[in-house]
Amino acid sequence: MPDTLTILFSTIFINNFVMVQFLGLCPFMGASQKFDSAVGMAAATTFVLTFASAASYLVEAYLLVPLNLEYLRIIAFIVIIAALVQFAEMVIKSTQPLLHQVLGIFIPLITTNCAVLGVALLNVRQAHSFYESIIFGFGAALGFSLMLIIFASIRERLETANTPLPFRGAAIHMITAGLLSLGFMGFTGMD
Amino acid sequence: MDAILSLFFEHGASYDSAYLDILQVLTGMIAIVTLGGATAFMLTYFSRSFPSNSGPVVEQVNLLLPQTQCAQCGFPGCLPYAEAIVAGDNINLCPPGGQETVDALAKLLGRSSLSLENDTRDEPRTIVRIRESECIGCTLCLPACPVDAIIGAPQRLHSVIEQTCTGCDLCLEPCPVDCIDIIVVKDEIASDNAVLNKVAPDQIVTKKAAKQAKALPEQPLPTMTECIRCDACETKCPKDLAPQALYWAKGSLDMLQELRIDDCIECKLCDRACPSNLPLTQIFIDEKARIQQRKVELAEAERLQVRYEKHAARVLTQSKKLRSRPNKSDRSAILQSLMKESTDTSVQDPSE
Repeated sequence: MPDTLTILFSTIFINNFVMVQFLGLCPFMGASQKFDSAVGMAAATTFVLTFASAASYLVEAYLLVPLNLEYLRIIAFIVIIAALVQFAEMVIKSTQPLLHQVLGIFIPLITTNCAVLGVALLNVRQAHSFYESIIFGFGAALGFSLMLIIFASIRERLETANTPLPFRGAAIHMITAGLLSLGFMGFTGMD
Repeated sequence: MDAILSLFFEHGASYDSAYLDILQVLTGMIAIVTLGGATAFMLTYFSRSFPSNSGPVVEQVNLLLPQTQCAQCGFPGCLPYAEAIVAGDNINLCPPGGQETVDALAKLLGRSSLSLENDTRDEPRTIVRIRESECIGCTLCLPACPVDAIIGAPQRLHSVIEQTCTGCDLCLEPCPVDCIDIIVVKDEIASDNAVLNKVAPDQIVTKKAAKQAKALPEQPLPTMTECIRCDACETKCPKDLAPQALYWAKGSLDMLQELRIDDCIECKLCDRACPSNLPLTQIFIDEKARIQQRKVELAEAERLQVRYEKHAARVLTQSKKLRSRPNKSDRSAILQSLMKESTDTSVQDPSE
């Protein structure tokens, strides 16, 4: 079990996918205008990431490796991720139509979130077991959700802050993201 | 297969290795197609099994509801209730639809049928009517009506379209003067033909009487004589006036007009809200009368002033005429000019 905790803690803080590995920056910048939509986006991405890492492990172990088709890994993973995203969109649409309206295009865009494909490929590279893959995916999702929610909260406060004119808009968001990233790189020292 | 392969690999290339490569490619293609097909199949299956709660279901539920917009279910109308049903509310809250509607809804949504709650169908059908002599034209009952069965305009008499009225009694509450009666309709034909004049007077139930009966046991509030500036009246005013400010501005007519006292419709809602039981409406009526009186006086004063100014101007011109009597030396010149004028007029005369 310490292994589980190590993977979880590592993916959430030390190797945070957004802040340290710089994956999944599109929804990090795009879907963080409002706290509520950020929470919805985080939940949807958590769902997709966790299941995508499990499904990609199964496809890798029981389809690609036995048939010597490792070179089709990226295509196969993208198919799985796209299917899972469609499934997540269906669930959101039928349970929370309002959230679906708020998130809009960002739900299908989870497909192109490089964090999702990155997690699946890193699972293969680091030779995780099925159980480890799920923990790794879930941890990555938690880290992503944490960053998205923190950043959305900061942005909501920045909206009302008295920002100097040249820094307004995207500039101050980039600076804030950079400072956040610096903060998270501090965790590496604790490794 | 060998013949086809020989087309691509001519000069003694190893057929065996090429054959293996092609086999590998075919395996890959089949694997990807299988994977895609499997996911597509699963997605289709899930999309069918998930009930989509947008549009169509709400519309179907709405079609089953009777569209009386009576709000007896606790929702503002039939469509909001349909949305609530789809969101998981009980399906047995519609008295006008009856048990048939409940059964139909249960069948549509695959839920177990319930017995109808607060069934009112055995009670006689009622509609409302406005006692026209007492209506003050405040328009407060118009937005309350879910079926737009009340017609009227500000300061004008309101009336109920009796064919459209569903007897939901939602208009009774906002009426400030309690001039709306509930009338029992004997049968549907009577209501359809709007021959409601045949309704016997003993069938009329006045809300006023009911209210008074209810209000009697209540202890009357201690009467105060001064405004405590509590703002209770300002939230009640249907015309968004500030009765409290008007009360304190009484006497200064300009201030009252600035506070739009002319917009007051004398609905007495502020009187009821006032914890000090101040006769606000009566004060406003008196002030409005004073403003009216002052307007009349001002108009009269203006008329008199205009009259005086005309008189003064007339006197002035007369005195000027007297003062501007010509000198002897000028007399000949004036005579000449007068002569000339007379000849001019004599020339003009025939043309006229």
